[in-house]
Amino acid sequence: MRRYWSGLGLAAVLAAAGCGLGDTGQPAAAPGATATGEVKGKVSLQTWALKPKFTDYMQKVIDSFEKKYPGVEVEWLDQPGDGYSDKVLSQAAGNSLPDVTNLPPEYALPLVKQGLLLDVAQADPAVKDEYVPGGLSAYTYPGVQGVYGYPWYLNTDVNYWNSELMAENGLDAKKPPASFDELVAQARTLKDKSGGKVYLMSRKPELGDFVQAGVKLVSDDGKHFTFNTPEAAALLDKYRDAFKQGLLPRDVLTDTYAGNAKLFNEGTVAWTTGGGNYITSLAVDNPSLAPKVVPSPAFGTPPLYVQGLSVSAKSKNAPAALALARWVTSAENQAAFAHLVAIFPSTKASANDPFFSKSDGTNAGDAKVMAFASLAKAKMLEPVVLTEAMKKIVKQQFALAISGEVSSKEALDTAVAKCDELLQG
Amino acid sequence: MTHRRWFTPWLLVAPAVGWLLVFNLWPSLNTVVLAFTNAKPLGGGHFTGLANFARALDDSQLTDALVNSVVYMLVCLPLLTMLPLLLAILVEKRLPGITFFRTAFYTPVVASAVVVALIWGWVLDDRGLVNGFAQWLGVVAEPVPFLTDRWLLLFSAISLTVWKGLGYYMIIYLSALGNVRRELHEAAAVDGAGAVRRFWSVTVPGVRNTMLLVSVLVSVSALRVFSELYVLSNGTGGPGGRDMSVVMLIQLYTRGFSGHLGYASALSIVLFVITVGPMLLLLRLDRKAA
Repeated sequence: MRRYWSGLGLAAVLAAAGCGLGDTGQPAAAPGATATGEVKGKVSLQTWALKPKFTDYMQKVIDSFEKKYPGVEVEWLDQPGDGYSDKVLSQAAGNSLPDVTNLPPEYALPLVKQGLLLDVAQADPAVKDEYVPGGLSAYTYPGVQGVYGYPWYLNTDVNYWNSELMAENGLDAKKPPASFDELVAQARTLKDKSGGKVYLMSRKPELGDFVQAGVKLVSDDGKHFTFNTPEAAALLDKYRDAFKQGLLPRDVLTDTYAGNAKLFNEGTVAWTTGGGNYITSLAVDNPSLAPKVVPSPAFGTPPLYVQGLSVSAKSKNAPAALALARWVTSAENQAAFAHLVAIFPSTKASANDPFFSKSDGTNAGDAKVMAFASLAKAKMLEPVVLTEAMKKIVKQQFALAISGEVSSKEALDTAVAKCDELLQG
Repeated sequence: MTHRRWFTPWLLVAPAVGWLLVFNLWPSLNTVVLAFTNAKPLGGGHFTGLANFARALDDSQLTDALVNSVVYMLVCLPLLTMLPLLLAILVEKRLPGITFFRTAFYTPVVASAVVVALIWGWVLDDRGLVNGFAQWLGVVAEPVPFLTDRWLLLFSAISLTVWKGLGYYMIIYLSALGNVRRELHEAAAVDGAGAVRRFWSVTVPGVRNTMLLVSVLVSVSALRVFSELYVLSNGTGGPGGRDMSVVMLIQLYTRGFSGHLGYASALSIVLFVITVGPMLLLLRLDRKAA
């Protein structure tokens, strides 16, 4: 018996010793690196779900890079869309992060805290002159010096209105609501005239909506959430009243409904938001609806969606990795990419490209130009410290507030307390 | 003459033992250790004593999840212990075409839990088949909130689990019924026992051990429910997240770069303890009855 217990004790000690607890868990200092040195050697580039649709494009970009730098060999890895964060996490934990990796800003932050990414602004000071400030600020984090990714491509949202549905119910898509109160008023008109068969609003509020209402989401040092304010509670109250009046589908509470865009595509909802290319993709799903869609700029500050390329701090060929990241995100290569898919370049040189700034006169062309123009004032509305677990908790508390189960203040206080616990835990 | 080597048996069991050590024992021990730390997927962690368990005591989501899991178990246990037995007695009879019914009852078991839950989601949705039909018949004026009411969502998931589990436990009972001697039924019938009396006095005692096994399996899987609730609530855990099971809560805290592995491990230990509890209770009851 004694042997049994001592064996178990030994196993526990071994487990404690080997369970990955050796690290301090403290944020590591940002590694210094330099872009100087010869661009040569083997470098890996990891992209996210670009194969097979953009294989030709990426291969051309890589081939031209290898041609420019004959001493470099690029190994291109493309990961599937699902489970990308898990893949990057396992690479980071296993010390096998590729030299250049496509990381959205919120994925890059935990790697920055562990000192796994290069400060590209330190290594390559020209980045600040060549990329738009919104893109660069997405890779700049509170409490950490530096820029941790080359902004790659950008996108934002535009409002889309179903003009036919609105006209049938006494509304004019050419005069869309300009504020939340007007939105609710028009939603009421649509509901009354249609007998509750169609909706104008079909989504719960998100933290980004609080930003529009002037609510600060997180403290300057990024260590506390601050969105439990009277203004935020007032906005939730308005949503709760709208929900009570039946102005939103009931299943927005659990997101079990088909989805805002899906309902719009089906013609049962008259308003949705989407990227600049939304009408073009709608023309495939519902060709008869697409010509009836009228775009308008997003309410308040448009959201900014950013993708970027980060460089591993442990790259054995840092000059080549930096050169590759810069090459893929260059104005020329981004413009070529934007001709293939509805994204916008993050380079200042693309600002005057007529492809983005002049409409062809169609509603799809108008939407693209509107989205491109919106980028100038677009911002990342949700803080990068917001994790998936926090987002879920916020959604759950918002659902409780809107259903009237708890007061808006109570829901906000709980959401902030739980998110703070996760942030600091 | 046979040549015996002392290590031959060890070599034979080595793959199985290796598998158990690497994929069962080691992760279990690791979970216990992590439960006392604030470990994250990147960057390790510190020893935090009982902080994670103190946090669990104060976690209203865990309370909701435990209530959901216990309700799930209390409803599933009698239904999935008795209904499959009745079903097995029905399909045990050697009638023409009975194989079709056996196969039909077993089909939900073969289907993926996620796919089945997705289909049920469409059926129970506000604009789904059930609500559409009920409104068409004029039974209800407004759609029944199967997926947007806390308790209705929980009971929808329970219905799904019961429907899906019937076939599986039916097969187990079918093999057990084969061991109940036919002469006992015949003797009871001769003595004037009706079908109900024979069921309680001959069939049930004959499959008692199997019933215990089924009860344990049902309890454990009900307490560990995930797919049904996750898919029917579209991953949100129902309105306000109040339909989360303990496993969903664990999943919430383990995902992503900033996953809270320490707290998730503490929740795993809580789940382990409450799962072992009913098992021991059932075994004890069985021993007493014996």
